[in-house]
Amino acid sequence: MSQLYLIVQVNPDKMANTSSTRFFPFIGHWQRITLGLFLLVFVCWFFADTEVIALEPWAELGRMFTGFITPDFGATEYLLDAVWQTISFALLGICLGLLLGLPLALAYQHPLIAAICAFIRAIHEIFWALIFLQVFGLSPLTGILAIGLPYAATFARVFADILQQAPSQTLFTLPKGTDKLSALIYGRWMHMYPQIVAYIRYRFECALRSSAVLGFIGMPTLGFYLESAFRQGHYQQGGALLILFIVLIGTIRFWAKPLMLWVYLPLAVYFLPELPVFQPQLIWRFVSIDILPPMLQGQTLTTWFAVDTFIAVFDWAYELVRDQVWPGIVATLVLACCALGLTHVLTLIMLPLNTTLMMPKPVIILMRGINLILRSLPEYLLAFVFMLLLGPSMLPAIIALALHNSGLMVFLMARQSDDIIVPLTYRPRLDHYSYMVLPVIYPHFMGLLFYRFEVIIRETAILGMLGVMTLGFYVDSNFAEIRFSGALLLLMFTAGLNVLVDYTARKLLQAPRDKLQAC
Amino acid sequence: MLAVVDTDLGYGQKVILPNINLTLNPSEHVAILGPSGVGKTTLLHHLYQQLAEQTCLCSQAQGLVDNLSIYHNVFMGGLARHSRWYNMANLLLPFTQPQQQISVICQQLELNLPLQKKVSELSGGQRQRVALARALFQHQPVFMGDEPFSALDPLMGGRLLNLIKQSHQSVICVLHDAELALAHFDRIIVISAGKVALDTKANQLTLAHLSQHYVVTDESTLPHSAG
Amino acid sequence: MKFTGMILAGVLSLFSTVAVSETFTFTAIPDEDESQLRTRFDKVAVYLSEQLGVEVKYIPVKSYSAAVTAFRNNQVQLAWFGGLSGVQARRLVPGSEAIAQGFEDQFFKSYIIAHHSTELAATDSFPVLNDYTFTFGSKDSTSGRLMPQYFIESNVGQSVDKIFKRIGFSGDHSRTISQVEAGVYQVGAVNYKVWDTAVEKGDVDTSKVNVIWQSPTYPDYQWTVHSGVDKTFGAGFKEKLTKTLIGMKDKDLLDSFPRESFVPASNSDYEPIERVAKAIGMLD
Repeated sequence: MSQLYLIVQVNPDKMANTSSTRFFPFIGHWQRITLGLFLLVFVCWFFADTEVIALEPWAELGRMFTGFITPDFGATEYLLDAVWQTISFALLGICLGLLLGLPLALAYQHPLIAAICAFIRAIHEIFWALIFLQVFGLSPLTGILAIGLPYAATFARVFADILQQAPSQTLFTLPKGTDKLSALIYGRWMHMYPQIVAYIRYRFECALRSSAVLGFIGMPTLGFYLESAFRQGHYQQGGALLILFIVLIGTIRFWAKPLMLWVYLPLAVYFLPELPVFQPQLIWRFVSIDILPPMLQGQTLTTWFAVDTFIAVFDWAYELVRDQVWPGIVATLVLACCALGLTHVLTLIMLPLNTTLMMPKPVIILMRGINLILRSLPEYLLAFVFMLLLGPSMLPAIIALALHNSGLMVFLMARQSDDIIVPLTYRPRLDHYSYMVLPVIYPHFMGLLFYRFEVIIRETAILGMLGVMTLGFYVDSNFAEIRFSGALLLLMFTAGLNVLVDYTARKLLQAPRDKLQAC
Repeated sequence: MLAVVDTDLGYGQKVILPNINLTLNPSEHVAILGPSGVGKTTLLHHLYQQLAEQTCLCSQAQGLVDNLSIYHNVFMGGLARHSRWYNMANLLLPFTQPQQQISVICQQLELNLPLQKKVSELSGGQRQRVALARALFQHQPVFMGDEPFSALDPLMGGRLLNLIKQSHQSVICVLHDAELALAHFDRIIVISAGKVALDTKANQLTLAHLSQHYVVTDESTLPHSAG
Repeated sequence: MKFTGMILAGVLSLFSTVAVSETFTFTAIPDEDESQLRTRFDKVAVYLSEQLGVEVKYIPVKSYSAAVTAFRNNQVQLAWFGGLSGVQARRLVPGSEAIAQGFEDQFFKSYIIAHHSTELAATDSFPVLNDYTFTFGSKDSTSGRLMPQYFIESNVGQSVDKIFKRIGFSGDHSRTISQVEAGVYQVGAVNYKVWDTAVEKGDVDTSKVNVIWQSPTYPDYQWTVHSGVDKTFGAGFKEKLTKTLIGMKDKDLLDSFPRESFVPASNSDYEPIERVAKAIGMLD
């Protein structure tokens, strides 16, 4: 002790020197990223519209509450049909996703494939469905493609990430002359088989949510009735549907046994709603008319290159960018950053409540239930409740996104923290947790959080309808006004933004990225 | 069979064994000895790459796939003999013919376990024998092994080595166990300090000769030579 | 393992059960109460089928734009459109015609409602709405968006985003009422029928929210039929259909829309709507 004291006494200059070159010697990589994140959120919060308006929400909230405690399961027509279609769209969507995603995963190293996948992922299922609606009409194909396509892109990325972790020695020992496919399957895929299956299982839960959400735009799933019921204030019906949906998701592991899938799948195909006659001319119409700017529609190709037309197209695009794209991007980023910050904080608070390393069994069970509800509730419902409480600013959307995403984060993180091997001296106290558990899981936590950022940006699309003028709001408006070219231009920018965010997050988190495997 | 002439060996840019000269003759049983980290594996991998067409390799890392059964892991030795579709189908629904062949190999290797058992559930010694079985199932004239018996007791190691010698014309093994090398191999190559320190017929050598070139009783041979 | 099977069945599903039919298909979204859509409109389908002598099917849709798309793709040949969506649909499908409208739709109107804290009272002249927060219904609604926006902008002489402090789209008339009642938005625009029904049923607390202004009348909902129906279902089909719709007297059927009765209509009845939509920039 005294020696150490002596050194400090002897070299005061040197000490001062070190602390001036590095102000905070204990701030490492993750602390810096976290502080950076907080700073970003702080700046965004400053620009965000977070005005709280004093209100009288109690009458409406009372009606909602009454609805939930007296759910009416008989109020929905064709209820079982809707439940079944929710499952079959999810199942078929996942199948299509795998069918396309597995080969894409193999080619994912190619930057072009990676970029195309990022682009496809960036567009929300709802918007894919709105696009396919123009081409295939109200058809199950629309719903299955809307799930399958973005899921394929996600599978491609995640499987490529997982495969990178496969040990390479096996390939070296394989006999010379082994064909590529066998070598790949036996030598690499099979190493990661459990992770791949676990991920597919998790994505199935996501697909159920997507399937329900597609009901919002007309697919015959639970969301069809759920959205109408809540929009029109039929809370008894809505409550019943929501309870059903949460139970459906909460009990996946009981009804979605691998063997049962062999039964479900043919049934899903067989009982699919009737496919309307496929009209190839609709595809042609879509690419030759709908996606063109209004001034080019119906014009011959030669007039496209006239100066007047060119100027008109430029004006059209400029106006869109100025009035919709730019404000949309700003609102989307501000909203997403604030939601990201709040997700970070909420997850950190909820995580200790969800791990067996801190809490007794009963608390864990209770928290699992709360988590299930948080991640199953569509964000827009949460946002609507908070809107009644807080007024129509960005705040309800921020809180809704943060609650939903932290529910998912905690669900994915809790499994990992439970598996951590702690020293025998460990006691379930906050200080022990902070020293022995949190540092272990933090890199993975941040990796997951940054991946969620991509998802949050996509999800802001749905909140557009509550008056938060995100890119999704403008896309939706363009679809409502049957201006497909405008909608597509906005979608291009949305996707571009997402690709950029994904790229930045990857750069920022290069190291932990490798360990990341959940969505 | 193979001649290595004035070759620099290493991995990446790093040369570990500069300027190596070696000739391998057919139907020879060669043991490669030397202190750890000297480049024995590097040499063996180089030899393997030259002779890959006719050689099965049982590497130190084994390359077993934990999530697959014993059967599938051994079957991987036969991947090159079948079409990709046969291999895929076999992954889903194992065929009977290879099952019988593999079952025989496993019995020879004293691996009396159900073939459908996952490799992740096996002990170190059992895993090593699955790796050996995979190499045997390749049906190649040349066997190369990188300490293929290190996790087995010396008696079993000897028995299995005999089995391998019966099934292959040439056997080239990196070994730690100098006694095993002297007892079963025709030719001994000692690698030490970045070069071939010794390359002689085994019957002209004793443990004492070997210990001039490196400490024979290093950690892994210690219990063997003691017992 | 199991994926192979899943994948296989997935592929099969894409190529199976393609139905080809000569069924006359229609869609409708009522302006209030979208519950039990299929149950209610299947009855309408049965009525139409009996009268027209062809197979009639109802397809439920979620939004006006979805209805327009289905109409444009000839997935439905007849649709119960709002004023604006009807105009959009007829522009996209040349030759399609508005053939009947609801009795009430000849003189439809919108209400502007306000939260009691604004202390705005009902007036005949246009109220001063500057710097309040305001919500429309859904974006593509005629009575909840198009006409209110037009009346407000033409009365004030400014665009709505200049007039109001904040603008929202509640998505639905019922939600507009509940949001203004809760004070989330101070002022809102709503379909008069939805408001009247809500007041009648006691679903709204009129001490918290009330009507402060009612708009002049305009034409709204109508039945629009596809151009090619005479070719597909026989000459004179359109005329027969019009007669059948106007002849719908069963109160149970009419309540699904809900309308008192149907009266004849024509495309020209909706010219004002088209002009308004162009004026506020919703149509090119």
